[in-house]
Amino acid sequence: MGIRGDAAIVGCAQYKPEKYSTAPKAFHLDQIADLAHLALKDAGLEAQQIDGLVVTGSYLNEARQFVPAMVGEYLGLKLNFGEVIDLGGASGVGMAWRAAAAIELGLCEAVLCVIPMRMAPLGPDVDPMAMAMSMRYGGHSTTFGAPEAEFDIPYGHMAQNAGYAMIAKRYAAKYGYDPRAMAKIVVDQRTNAQANPDAVFYGQPLTIEDVLASRMVADPLHVLEIVMPIAGGAAFIVSRRDIRRSNGNRPALIRGFGEHIQSKSPTYADDMLHTPIGPASKKAFEMSGFKPSDMHMAQIYDCYTITVLLSLEDAGFCPKGTGMKFVLENDLTYKGNFPMNTHGGQLSFGQAGAAGGMSQLIEAVHQIQGRCGERQLKKHDLAYVSGTGGVMSEQTALILQGA
Amino acid sequence: MSNKPLPLPTETSRPYWEALKAHRVDIQQCGDCGHWIFFPRQHCPHCFSHNLAWKTISGQGTLLTYTTTRIPTLPEFTDEMPQQLAVVQLDEGPHVNTTLVGLAEDEIRIGMRVKPVFHDVDPGKATLLRYTGPDKHVDLSAAAPAQAAAPVVEAPAVTRRQINFRDLEAMKSLVSEEYSAWSNEFTVTQEIINQFAALSGDDYWIHTDPEKAKKQSPFGTTIAHGALVQVLTSQLSIPMTWEVTGFNNMVNYGSDKLRFPSPVPSGSRIRARCRVKAVEQVKSGTQLTLEICIHVVGMERPSVINELVILYM
Repeated sequence: MGIRGDAAIVGCAQYKPEKYSTAPKAFHLDQIADLAHLALKDAGLEAQQIDGLVVTGSYLNEARQFVPAMVGEYLGLKLNFGEVIDLGGASGVGMAWRAAAAIELGLCEAVLCVIPMRMAPLGPDVDPMAMAMSMRYGGHSTTFGAPEAEFDIPYGHMAQNAGYAMIAKRYAAKYGYDPRAMAKIVVDQRTNAQANPDAVFYGQPLTIEDVLASRMVADPLHVLEIVMPIAGGAAFIVSRRDIRRSNGNRPALIRGFGEHIQSKSPTYADDMLHTPIGPASKKAFEMSGFKPSDMHMAQIYDCYTITVLLSLEDAGFCPKGTGMKFVLENDLTYKGNFPMNTHGGQLSFGQAGAAGGMSQLIEAVHQIQGRCGERQLKKHDLAYVSGTGGVMSEQTALILQGA
Repeated sequence: MSNKPLPLPTETSRPYWEALKAHRVDIQQCGDCGHWIFFPRQHCPHCFSHNLAWKTISGQGTLLTYTTTRIPTLPEFTDEMPQQLAVVQLDEGPHVNTTLVGLAEDEIRIGMRVKPVFHDVDPGKATLLRYTGPDKHVDLSAAAPAQAAAPVVEAPAVTRRQINFRDLEAMKSLVSEEYSAWSNEFTVTQEIINQFAALSGDDYWIHTDPEKAKKQSPFGTTIAHGALVQVLTSQLSIPMTWEVTGFNNMVNYGSDKLRFPSPVPSGSRIRARCRVKAVEQVKSGTQLTLEICIHVVGMERPSVINELVILYM
């Protein structure tokens, strides 16, 4: 099964997280070109070396169809591989493996993976009220015939918070629940963010008591256990490991990956406590020849604390049902024995929509490249990265190794 | 009629909704592999057969999980706060999304048996399947609100602490971070909103046109004017444990701060509580700042924060 390890992430770009109200607005096509330019410089590649593109389709402002062709034309690139991906927060990792597979098959040489997530300027005829109206259902479809429009929304089953809260409640009933352990995930990650000037919560350390005293949103989730949406965007380039480059930045080889899509809503999953990251990670580890305990860091998708807890268990870092104990007994900071989400995680870095998942991937690459400054890990050759879309709907896993 | 989103039956799902209207639960079973199916489809998601049959079931099941929301998932659901969103596993196996009704928070346990409550949200047109405990009798028919309202507990007639307005030290002892008990509850109906619109001249559609609000407002339904909710303080009797005495005149001096942090959708129940924020001696007498917070029932975030300045002289 799998790949030879000939594809590597060689360059990255990421906008500093900003509030939507103050972030610059730009057309998504221009954000893509800007992020591509930054990623090319970081990789030491020339623009015309790029011959592959993976981009998000459902969020792109300027087009709903023929997206790779429009983006390629706008950028000024001819493509041997063009792909649209629609896996929410799992998209970043999903892009990385698709690009690696295309490169290993000999289809292309270098693939730009990009998610623009700042706002685009509104057209003169667009009613901001109508815009707000169209966004109120978030990731839920209200189209006639969509099962969630018919069977979920009329009961108020809406929004990510409620879905994740119900998973956490079920976990509590089955395995027990320690709110302090959940709060410690937030606090350890916040400690990491104090060594990351780009993080939206840089300069704002937290205690377990702060988390537990924060507002309850949907039992048992406090507001500080939930990501803050911010404007941003990110890109990375996957290429053949031996591609001609003008700098010596260490490539992060793609050694293993997996993907699993379970259900749109956790309600309709066979067992909402056995999450898709299980099968996705199993495949990724098997492909790479490594096991969870070999990893030097875990960059785990963290839209909510419960996402992290279930990922730790289902990816195999600790046995099922022991995640809370694992969190309490290990130091999850960059100074600790189990460095996790060393950039602060999205909980402290901020979540730029579907680009949020790229923050974990980019942190893994930067750690492997030894470019993380104060939070740089001493052992930094092997990284586990996960992505999560929807409400534990779809998850992706990636194993990276420094060349 | 509320402005909540209602199911739009398709050709495939119509038998399910028709059965609910008749206060019966019908779901599909695969004639080839025996798999029970929810939500309705044209194929069996287990073996992909099209040989499906509708069967009447008891609708009973066990509570797989739930959450109690402290912020409504959509503004239209504000009148249900706190929402008890739940997933029930039917005895036949499938999972359904629902809400729990007629159960206090401490009566809900994951794994408990639950039974159907047929809620005719739009009689003759739409019935939703809610759930309650096996020994509960919940009637959501007619004009009853979606959630069985908790009985309003009348504030016990306590003897109020009498404080002379000239006794500055005693007056200052009233300052507290703690809020009073809750007032009675009051329902902000569309009729009241319309009356206020006529009186004030503020008849902006976001307050008065439920049809347009359903289509175009980010709240999905009409909302009360902030100023209306503020003056409804007079309908809300807050149980006070103290009373200022000895003054000749009491003047409402206005507000230091007035905020409307969250909307009050039409049909919501509101209630109020207060605390003394500051007391100070001024030239003409004693000035007391009373922070009055009006909340939609079940909402932690207030809809009105009014720091009312009262001058006793």
